[in-house]
Amino acid sequence: MVNHAPRCETRAVAGNKTNMEQAPTQALTDALCKVAEDRDKRAFAQLFEYFAPKIKRFGIKQFANEALAMELVQETLTTVWRKAHLYHPDKGAATTWVYTVMRNASFDALRKMKSNKEEHISEEIWPLFQEEQSTDSDFQDHLQSKQIQDHISKLPPAQQEVVKGVYFQEMSQEQLAEHLSIPVGTVKSRLRLALQKLRAEIGDSND
Amino acid sequence: MIKHHPTEQLLTQFSQGELPATLSIAVSAHLELCECCRAKVESLEKRHAEQLFTLPSNDIEEDDFADLFAQITSNDEIDIPKPSEPKTLEYQNKTVSLPRAIANMQRGNFVQLGKLARSRLQLDDGELRASLLQIGAGGEIPHHTHTGFELTLLLDGEFSDESGSYVPGDFIWLDGRHHHSPATQSGCLCFTVVNSALHFNKGLSKLLNPIGNLIY
Repeated sequence: MVNHAPRCETRAVAGNKTNMEQAPTQALTDALCKVAEDRDKRAFAQLFEYFAPKIKRFGIKQFANEALAMELVQETLTTVWRKAHLYHPDKGAATTWVYTVMRNASFDALRKMKSNKEEHISEEIWPLFQEEQSTDSDFQDHLQSKQIQDHISKLPPAQQEVVKGVYFQEMSQEQLAEHLSIPVGTVKSRLRLALQKLRAEIGDSND
Repeated sequence: MIKHHPTEQLLTQFSQGELPATLSIAVSAHLELCECCRAKVESLEKRHAEQLFTLPSNDIEEDDFADLFAQITSNDEIDIPKPSEPKTLEYQNKTVSLPRAIANMQRGNFVQLGKLARSRLQLDDGELRASLLQIGAGGEIPHHTHTGFELTLLLDGEFSDESGSYVPGDFIWLDGRHHHSPATQSGCLCFTVVNSALHFNKGLSKLLNPIGNLIY
């Protein structure tokens, strides 16, 4: 098993400022990467401690209501915990990413207050996971998908099966679990391991 | 080249999540087509984040968030986003891909009115209404004023009016001060957001006023 250096730590945060300003931002970015790669609870605790009170303060300004502000804290930090793997340090600092997660949660909450509908359209307006924009040529796309296919074929068969089911045959995780006669939790954990591996591999070879 | 962009103010409100949903969708779709506005929004987001999260402030209360922390981390699963397939629309014997934010909203069927066809987004957004609008080759909308505002994002094809001609990606904001009669030679597809009916100004087209609502 190759030991991959975490791809995040070697990178500087985009948009350098003075050292004083950069220090906490870099530490937060490193913590977010650890959550993404290792599900590191201590790193998440560091993020949580830093952001929770600040998000709450923003929520109180936004909604003039403490309970709704707490919901915003919960919604935002749950997303940070569950979607940290979508964060890419080369696209900006962790603070900016957490801001966009909070902005999206706040947008959906405000719409819910107005129209009383439970929707999450913020994800369509501001996708957290942005494929490369179409300025890349098709050539590049083909190369990249060939490369991804190669990496997928190196995964353990059980993980390959899950990745192919979800990404190429577009089955839901529930459908796939039924199809393979395994619990949904197993599908999820296999997928998680597979994606971690793919990210590490593809990230490394792009460096 | 795209010549018409959202104002700085609109981009700022967009980046803070303060625009209504239909307008946010329009700006998001413009960003997919316009690299320079995309970069502006990224730098605005960075600035808001710095203001809220990295500037020192004294009014932070210390709360006990321990329960919430335990609750969130008790579940170790991660969320995998649905891979988003580019969605396309067939119109006037062409296939065009729709910007993600527009493509992923519920829409009604296209309703045909002469050379115009409109499909309205089924999205509750107060008095704002958003639609996809096709104008067939040689089609035009009679000379009109807007009692509120009209935002047009050209997605495909071309059209022109008294102020000039437009290319895909152009984000054209008009209000009561503007009169225009847009026309297209080869046909076009637009995304529009309006907050009130059009007002037709000339001759027989005044008869259209009762159906101004239908067009957009």
